[in-house]
Amino acid sequence: MLEHVYLIPLLPLAASLIMLFAFKESEHSPAPYVGIAAMLWCFIQSCVIFYGVAKGGIHLPYEANMEWFKLPVDIGGRSFAYSMPLGVLIDGPAAVMLIVVTLVSSLVQIYSTAYMHGDPRFRRFFAYVSFFTASMLGLVVSSNLLITFTCWELMGVSSYLLIGFWFEKPGPAYASKKAFMTTKLGDCGLYLAMLMIFIKVGSFQITQFQEFVLRGYLAPAAATFIGLGILFGAAGKSAQFPLFIWLPDAMEGPTPVSALIHAATMVAAGIYLVAKCYFVYLAAPVAMETVAWIGLATALMAATMAVVAYDLKRVLAFSTVSQLGFMMCALGAGGYTAGLFHLTTHAFFKALLFLGAGSVIHAVHTNDMREMGNLSKKMPITFLTMLIATCAISGIPFLSGWYSKDMILEKVYEHSPVMWGLLAFAAMLTAFYMFRLIFLTFTGTERDHEKFHHAHESEYPMTVPLMILAVLAVVSGAALAHNGFVSTLFAAPVLPGAKEAAEAPAWIGWAMTAGVFVSIAFSYFLYRGPEFKTAESLKSTFKPVFNMLEQRYGFDAVFLGLVAVCDGIARVSYWIDSEVIDKVFVDGWGLLMQIWAHISELFDQLFIDKTVDGFGGLSVDLGVALRVLVREGQVQEYLMYVAIAVSLIAVLILFR
Amino acid sequence: MTLSAYLVVSGILFLLGIFGALTRRNIIGILMSVELMFNAANLNLAAFNRFLHPGGVAGQCLALFIITIAAAEVVVGLALVLAINRNTDTVYVEEFNLLKG
Repeated sequence: MLEHVYLIPLLPLAASLIMLFAFKESEHSPAPYVGIAAMLWCFIQSCVIFYGVAKGGIHLPYEANMEWFKLPVDIGGRSFAYSMPLGVLIDGPAAVMLIVVTLVSSLVQIYSTAYMHGDPRFRRFFAYVSFFTASMLGLVVSSNLLITFTCWELMGVSSYLLIGFWFEKPGPAYASKKAFMTTKLGDCGLYLAMLMIFIKVGSFQITQFQEFVLRGYLAPAAATFIGLGILFGAAGKSAQFPLFIWLPDAMEGPTPVSALIHAATMVAAGIYLVAKCYFVYLAAPVAMETVAWIGLATALMAATMAVVAYDLKRVLAFSTVSQLGFMMCALGAGGYTAGLFHLTTHAFFKALLFLGAGSVIHAVHTNDMREMGNLSKKMPITFLTMLIATCAISGIPFLSGWYSKDMILEKVYEHSPVMWGLLAFAAMLTAFYMFRLIFLTFTGTERDHEKFHHAHESEYPMTVPLMILAVLAVVSGAALAHNGFVSTLFAAPVLPGAKEAAEAPAWIGWAMTAGVFVSIAFSYFLYRGPEFKTAESLKSTFKPVFNMLEQRYGFDAVFLGLVAVCDGIARVSYWIDSEVIDKVFVDGWGLLMQIWAHISELFDQLFIDKTVDGFGGLSVDLGVALRVLVREGQVQEYLMYVAIAVSLIAVLILFR
Repeated sequence: MTLSAYLVVSGILFLLGIFGALTRRNIIGILMSVELMFNAANLNLAAFNRFLHPGGVAGQCLALFIITIAAAEVVVGLALVLAINRNTDTVYVEEFNLLKG
């Protein structure tokens, strides 16, 4: 199965093309089954590969390349044909990501058959989802950074198409534009890093690049540049500080797409790329430290913003941003294994949370948590699965999130206790706002009676994926952490001569767990009961703080200001172009030429033409004048003139 | 006798021919002057042949042709003169301007 791993990105791609071009648009189109079948096949193949890895039958990393294209190169007088390879590279993280992506995408597609039922662009939705997943899978398996970059950009396009899926409404159209532009801004950094890699290493092959760096050939300055460039790209894709502004708006897309973006594709890509290029950060401590602090800042800011949001999906979006910050911080603090572990477990419970939120929204037709309440009576399956996911993300012991978050905090403590303190606070906030979501949505009393009355549990295609994901959210952490399997699976590349960090004390894990329970209790204290008066009174007391959080620290304003400045520059440039360059240089030059043409025409008419006419007229006049000399009809006179002329010519010739 | 002597005689003959052709009023006189010019050319041809290519006969041959043509020309010319005389009762060229443009 491993030798046919290239099928994993190619099958969904083929499926999406088939769905786009071979099927007619209809509300009951059979197109989704093509996509689901392709994705399930990929899932099975990924599982077989992973099983082989777990059993030890397959030795990773596995790499297979073929020639993509050749180009003639001439460097320093030596000319040769540079061959660009195209291939797959499967290591531990890739093997796990394949399972995560294919599973989540399959479940999302199954879920969407019910969720998107009756949408006028039913078939197109599934085609886009398949395409999106195919791009992500391509990024996961690629052995060549150029292909990785291509898939990265394809993912940007598909996220644009999917976030703006309901493009008739102004909100999604704006959100898709915002997401696209913001991630593009990050991609500029990645692009610069790619150029630098090719200049320095002369290859886009990840393995060659890794060997180059681990042998210490890469200068620290170049490594820092590349590291920061990749980080900037990842900050765009994974919604890190300061480019996280697009992710909360991306909620305008259909909810299954949000689940896909937040769990398996898109935002995972940034973390995954940083992990793939982890060796660069090992060689560039400055870049590594930047990764850690960016992650920490993101985790804290997003967590605080989630606390005040009332939009169900927006809370989850901020929570994703925050969790991604955790992963970044872990990677930056040297917790390569911990970061990837959290990426894996997070994918399951975040997909579950989003699909559950979709189920709730499908039932009550609103995103506002203030209009929900007591839904656990109406939607028991959704409630139970979401509760499990919430426990997992909050870090309730022995659920998946507990294992990975524990590992992250341990690594961060080893790196810097101050950072640990801040991150632990963010983790407590996570527990707080996630349980706030549960309390507001599912418990208490119904606040909007009409909406509550119409609410009902969703049908099986929606609840079954929830249950599957709930099982994974419970067991995936324990299964991967069993006997330290995760450490061998996600074995970090090591620089020669690196020393082991000090072990973190055992108490921090239990302190964290205690903190989580305290914040859950606090959340219950604030949001129990029908009207959550305590929370509201707190909100009016600390109004400026809440306002700032609801304004997302003014980041949107900053970026809009940036856009306005660019707009202003563009407008000035346009003015200069249209008013100065066009008027003065282009039109002025034209006018000058026109005047010059008039002058030459006048000159032509007055002098040149007159001269030509003058010569003609002179000959005519001369002829007329000479005729006067001749008496007509006198042959002898004619003869005389001939004789005179001949003698004149003879004289001229003789005395020349 | 040198070549130049022949050429001088021939030149005098030619000029006499021109002078006659320009001054005679009588058409017959003009025809005779033209004959003089022909003979000046013939003399030239014979002289050049004799002095420059003594072995050749091209000059003499051409002179013979010219004599023949001159004879034919005189025949035509005299016929014209006769026709003119019969029609206009004159042989003076200044009175005969039928081809006046």
